[in-house]
Amino acid sequence: MPGAAEHLDRILAEARGAIAGAESTQALAEIRAGFLGKKGSVSTVLRGIGDLAGAERAAVGKAANVTKGEIEALVAKRREALEGADQERVLAEHRLDVTLPGFAPPRGHLHPTSHIEREMCAFFTQMGYSIEDGPEVETDWNNFGGLNFPEDHPARDMQDTFFVPGGNVLRTHTSNVQIRAMTGQEPPFRFVCPGRVYRHDLDGTHYPMFHQIEAVCVDEQTTFADLKGTLFAFARHLFGESTDIRFRAHFFPFTEPSAELDIGWGGRWLEWGGCGMIHPRVLLNCGIDPERYQGFAFGMGIDRTAMIRWDIPNIQLLFDGDVRTAEQF
Amino acid sequence: MKVPLGWLAEWIPLPDLDTLQERLTVGGLEIEEVIHSGPDLSGIRVGEVQARETHPDADRLSVCTVDLGEEEPLEIVCGAPNVAAGQKVAVATHGVVLPGGLKIKRSKIRGVRSHGMICSAQELGLGEDPEGILVLDPGAQVGEPLSSAMPAGETILDFEITPNRGDWVSMLGMAREVRAHFGGSLTLPPCEVSEGGGDASDDIEIAIEDREGCYRYVGCVIHGVTVGPSPEWLQRRLEDAGFRSVNNVVDVTNLVLLEFGQPLHAFDLERLRGGKIIVRSAREGEKLLTLDGEDRELRTEDLVIADAEGAVAVAGVMGGGDSEVRDTTTSLLLESAHFHPGRVRRTAKRLGLRSDASYRFERGVDPDGQSRAADRAARLICELAGGELARGAVEVLGENAPHTEELALAPERVNRLLGTKLTADEIVALLARVDIEAQAGPEGVLRCRPPRYRSDVHIEADLIEEVARIHGYDQIEASLPTGRLEGIQLSARRATTEAVRSSLAGAGLSEIMTFPGCPPEDDDRLGLAEDDPRRTHVPLLNPIQAGDAVLRSHLLPSVLRAVRGNRARQAERVRVFEIGRVFVGGPDRPEAWHEREPLQAAVALCEAGAEDLWRDPEVPVFFRAKGIAERLLADLGRRAEFRARADEPFLHPGACGEFRCQGRPVATLGELHPTVAAAFEIDAPTAVLMIDMEALDGLRDEPMRYRELSRHPRMRRDLALLVDRDTPSGEVLQVVQKKAGAALLSAQFFDRYEGKGVPEGKVSLAIRLLFQRVDRTLTDAEVAEATERVVQVLAERFGAELR
Repeated sequence: MPGAAEHLDRILAEARGAIAGAESTQALAEIRAGFLGKKGSVSTVLRGIGDLAGAERAAVGKAANVTKGEIEALVAKRREALEGADQERVLAEHRLDVTLPGFAPPRGHLHPTSHIEREMCAFFTQMGYSIEDGPEVETDWNNFGGLNFPEDHPARDMQDTFFVPGGNVLRTHTSNVQIRAMTGQEPPFRFVCPGRVYRHDLDGTHYPMFHQIEAVCVDEQTTFADLKGTLFAFARHLFGESTDIRFRAHFFPFTEPSAELDIGWGGRWLEWGGCGMIHPRVLLNCGIDPERYQGFAFGMGIDRTAMIRWDIPNIQLLFDGDVRTAEQF
Repeated sequence: MKVPLGWLAEWIPLPDLDTLQERLTVGGLEIEEVIHSGPDLSGIRVGEVQARETHPDADRLSVCTVDLGEEEPLEIVCGAPNVAAGQKVAVATHGVVLPGGLKIKRSKIRGVRSHGMICSAQELGLGEDPEGILVLDPGAQVGEPLSSAMPAGETILDFEITPNRGDWVSMLGMAREVRAHFGGSLTLPPCEVSEGGGDASDDIEIAIEDREGCYRYVGCVIHGVTVGPSPEWLQRRLEDAGFRSVNNVVDVTNLVLLEFGQPLHAFDLERLRGGKIIVRSAREGEKLLTLDGEDRELRTEDLVIADAEGAVAVAGVMGGGDSEVRDTTTSLLLESAHFHPGRVRRTAKRLGLRSDASYRFERGVDPDGQSRAADRAARLICELAGGELARGAVEVLGENAPHTEELALAPERVNRLLGTKLTADEIVALLARVDIEAQAGPEGVLRCRPPRYRSDVHIEADLIEEVARIHGYDQIEASLPTGRLEGIQLSARRATTEAVRSSLAGAGLSEIMTFPGCPPEDDDRLGLAEDDPRRTHVPLLNPIQAGDAVLRSHLLPSVLRAVRGNRARQAERVRVFEIGRVFVGGPDRPEAWHEREPLQAAVALCEAGAEDLWRDPEVPVFFRAKGIAERLLADLGRRAEFRARADEPFLHPGACGEFRCQGRPVATLGELHPTVAAAFEIDAPTAVLMIDMEALDGLRDEPMRYRELSRHPRMRRDLALLVDRDTPSGEVLQVVQKKAGAALLSAQFFDRYEGKGVPEGKVSLAIRLLFQRVDRTLTDAEVAEATERVVQVLAERFGAELR
């Protein structure tokens, strides 16, 4: 085939120009097809070598393949350049005002008391305590009598009480669950009971409803020292490792010895809860032999814990339904 | 109880204030307040007059050079005649405010600079001092606060006394407690009396008829008293302790009450009819005008002091007006008795009459202290009001002697309960500090005898508490419980509650907690029918406010109030929930009511037009509530069916429905009825959701487990159907889900349209079906067949046509 080499050179020169002039990957693909596609000029040359004699066929075939390779290389190089430019353009076109605020998925909030209650229950379940429950309208026996509050004793004045018909009361503490959970059970047992309690008291610092958690641990050798250790661990779980607590002698009808519990917070002692060794009469009232078994009980305000920890100045803020409080937690 | 420390110091040596407060507090005497009586001397300091010169322009004024312990002495002009070099004086410098309110400033007096003021006693509120300035003790420290050199007024500790410690409610009790912690010996005020004249028994005859009600009654007779004002020391002492001065006789009885904790009562002897005192039960309906001017009607369970004709005092609570000591009284009967604590308490409580006497009797007074207190009072009355004590106080005993049991205490019991390692000797020594005598008996068991004034020590544990208390709770080393661990039990109720809490908070709702008292009018606001069971409330017998007259029988009013409150605080939208018990009364006996406390959850969504930049698609609030319910049920693994309702009176009849699990309603929801919204003053579209937590307790309907994932392609078919406008879309979807065959992965609405292009009375429903199998790739033919089957069934069931 005369002039085949020149022909291929022309094709290559043409391709070089066309490829260099391609402005998009799309155009480049078309240009490539024009040379290397089924009907492309290089392909036509290659198809034509079948008519040539042996030696010439080999020479032209080789030259055509070389040209093909060169064009492929040019195309590849140009494609790389164009793709880079495409990406640049895409990146340049997509510009957000990233200083606009994020679109937050809707978020609800647990009540501060729920947060603390969960932390408290998590602590106690890790310590092997069950979680018990009890009613809020309670019999006099479970709320007072069984807990060794004698009739006609001023101890009954310690808790201002809401009364409901049938001789029942709104429970004034979660200690009612001591009687419920211990009656008819054989120790050892450990349990807590979180819940709502009610006192007939409403002023600047009191609200007639709040939440307590009650903890009970009864076995043959459970000591006052164990009570202290448990409360130290609990306080540090809730308030931080360096938290100190203080035990002040106190009187509760259902514990003996009894103590009030202060927490060292902000350089002051704040009253946090009450505790003591379960009174033998309470154990007897639940059918438990106080000669064999002994144990401790304690209780504290869940809301009060939240208030101390998060500097909530007034308990009413927790119960007036204003969501702006809960939304901070 | 208010305890002036200067007074207490007369009974027992005191440590410094901080140590005293700390030990008493941890020992069980909670200090409510530390009060300083007397003038506020803060800022006033001790100075020394180094030099005194006469003022160059005024003979009567002195120019003093005063050392206040600072670098430079100050020049102060003073007008007092008695000022002299070398004196220690009280100095108020620039900025200090005197107790009278005068603020001291630097000034020039007749041309001489004066940097402050040398004060007189009167200027400091410390009484009259005609001599001029106050001259301090030469030992006073220059520069120190004046209060260090001359304590002014009293420091008063106000204690909260626990109800078990009647013995603490007196100076004697406080002194004993101080002794228990710090040692020292008690100094009691003088109680010896001199008697003269006739015998008391000639004037008065005393009988205890109600022998259970009165253990001891001591009566002293004093003739020839002159009732008048008390001397200043007595008035001030009572005032410091929080009492009001009345007259010298009444003040003495109150003073002795404070000293020994023994309530006393002074009768005008001449007004006791028949010369008799009878301690007896009141007659039913018997009347008595008490000292506070109220007419009291008594009952047989009340204990009274009567004369020959009728009641003259409510025993241990309050005296009667007729026999009260007045200015003209000259003869007294002084009562010092021990009444039954429970009887006094019941009567005081019923009459709403809590007096200083009843407060102490309820808590238990020393059963052996009557004579001593009577003597102490008689002595003081004779001293302050004149008069002569008749010979031989009359003392009568009833029954019910307070206990004097001996208690056994094994030292190992102490250590077993406390976790300590105290020896028997240590325990004996600790008990001795609170007057409990303990002696070693057989086998090392201690025989303990508490003093009779300790009405609270009955059992071994009481003794152990005293050991722990005096040893110090802080001395007991902390440990953690040992022993067998049982499995933890968590009730299904608790698991459900926490799951619901998480789900609702996760759905964008904020949790509230509210007091369950509500007004019964809420039932009318909600439009509940007369026979609606939610009208049977548990009433509060002593509500604090009218708005809390009954306990709520469901949660809706609580969340609606929260919506209104938050809207009133300008919240654009309110999304709240509460989980709480509700209280159900009923026609049966109220005793049975206390176990009926269903746990419920209630949600309220109130959406006024939000003006957020970033805005959720506008979905009617009903469907937001429904979506929350669906999410909740899915979170809890409950399979529920929805059906429309129109019968809940407080919900919009056109936008109301319920979810049922296994036939039982678990959640009711709807838009708030406009009338109810108005009644609760809610001004924006609101939907509510009420969840019966009890019905959600228990197992999931479908156990959670892994389902194999498909690696084959999904096939999608979209259907656009025309149906009648009132065809329930939910049912259409259910039919699709049922009839599309096992290869159906999901069927969902993606559009519901009526209007242009859709015939009148029709609606276009667009449903997207996704098909996929786990085991192989589906063929077009299979999918086409399933789709056709669906279309056919929809045509039959709902007259649906493909668009």
